[in-house]
Amino acid sequence: MRKGSGRGDEERRRARRRRRAAARRRSPVLSALTSSALALPGLAGGARAASPVDRVGADYNFSYYAEDDLPSGKLAAGDDSRYEIEMHQFHAVAPLGERSDANLDIVHETMSGATPWYVANSGSGTPIQVMTGATVDEKRTDALLTGSYYFERAKASASGGFSLENDYFSGNGGLSGDLDLNDKNTTLSAGGSLSFDTIEPTDAALFATRPTKEKKETYSAFAGISQVIRRNIAVQSTFSYQHGTGYLSDPYKQVEVAGNANNPDRRPGQRNQFAWLTRYRHHVSPVEGTLHANYQLYLDDWGITSHTLELAWHQTLFDAFRLVPAFRYYSQSQADFYAPFFSAPAQHMSSDYRLSPYGAISWKLRAEVELQDWPGKLDWRGSFTWERYLSGGEYALQSVSLENPGLVSFNLFTIALTGRF
Amino acid sequence: MRARPGRRGALAAALLGALLLGAAAGCAPVRPWERDLLARPDMAWEPDSLEARRRGHVFFSKEGSLQGGSAGGGGCGCN
Repeated sequence: MRKGSGRGDEERRRARRRRRAAARRRSPVLSALTSSALALPGLAGGARAASPVDRVGADYNFSYYAEDDLPSGKLAAGDDSRYEIEMHQFHAVAPLGERSDANLDIVHETMSGATPWYVANSGSGTPIQVMTGATVDEKRTDALLTGSYYFERAKASASGGFSLENDYFSGNGGLSGDLDLNDKNTTLSAGGSLSFDTIEPTDAALFATRPTKEKKETYSAFAGISQVIRRNIAVQSTFSYQHGTGYLSDPYKQVEVAGNANNPDRRPGQRNQFAWLTRYRHHVSPVEGTLHANYQLYLDDWGITSHTLELAWHQTLFDAFRLVPAFRYYSQSQADFYAPFFSAPAQHMSSDYRLSPYGAISWKLRAEVELQDWPGKLDWRGSFTWERYLSGGEYALQSVSLENPGLVSFNLFTIALTGRF
Repeated sequence: MRARPGRRGALAAALLGALLLGAAAGCAPVRPWERDLLARPDMAWEPDSLEARRRGHVFFSKEGSLQGGSAGGGGCGCN
């Protein structure tokens, strides 16, 4: 039965028709705005399932990563010059018809320097670090191909790739999907992936603790929800789970037990990891700035709990420039089987600083410039980023009585160029 | 006694549900013609996917946690 047959109802129906007609007239302008924004990288992953790219794009980043030398007071033996990495990243994206696109990511990096080998007891109970000698020019190449198909309110993606080093090979594949609901104000995301890895440590014959060949399998899944709160506010929360099985130890590290360092790093053969990441985005129109806030809670069955907080402010200047200062705070507890050194052997033992209790802070500053429609329909973006990372027991949320001497600090410099053609 | 991972995970999931209910309660539906600000590059979850991959790889190599947000990509000898 049709409701409302009076004059007031007819006026309200006319008003609704006028608003819909005005919206259709505005849409072409809005389409131009959104399509020009879509032309620039980074929009994929916004608060909705997005749409395929309509033109070819390419990105190149060069990064220089340099760890601080180990302080002399913490060095027992070995080379104090730590890792340096030169990293090249390539990315290309292209449309495949009206409803799909493909992404190719390639990373090639060259690594050199010394790494922590084992931690020794100085004699007074103070842990000191024994480093390896410096390695020279180790290389890693990583490639990942992703194809996506877009429905009216959903997206499905499949990916496959590999990572290759002189002593390590990993093959991986994954599937993921997005679903838009509530007039595209809500997006559900989920996916899974797996990875099969093989490690054949170098110089295994020279070290009794080093295996000649081992395998590892990793299975991951995630589920998340994005919600538009206001015209200028969006929130996303994602739950991730990863199960690892096989050889999960570090073949290049050893453990000192009762003064004897000839013991292998020996970790459990399984690991279950959980991460809950929440992201908040808030644009402040009067100052043309956007706040990014991320928080992650992490737990695993090795005993590690960690907290990560990241804050960034994206300040747009004169439409074409952007300055992004950012800060990151990280704190983790230790693994159950971690100790700098041991007085008696245990089933599982590691002195790896990455399993020790500590905290870390980092500052990052990124400056970028955008150039649109030059020449012709080309759009460009160039940026320079510097990040400074410091770690130490003093930054941890909990009190740390014995800081691992191998904790790392580093600088990371990146220049980047992006084009849309 | 420290809670086991399963119990800690259940608590995290309950907090997540409360957060999402709270966020949904404060929502005002945004119409398609009002999405100009949401379409800005700096409103994306990851404005620069290469930077996100790079930093995720660095922290995965140098720290003891998972980098959340999405699954995908393979392993390396870096950790």
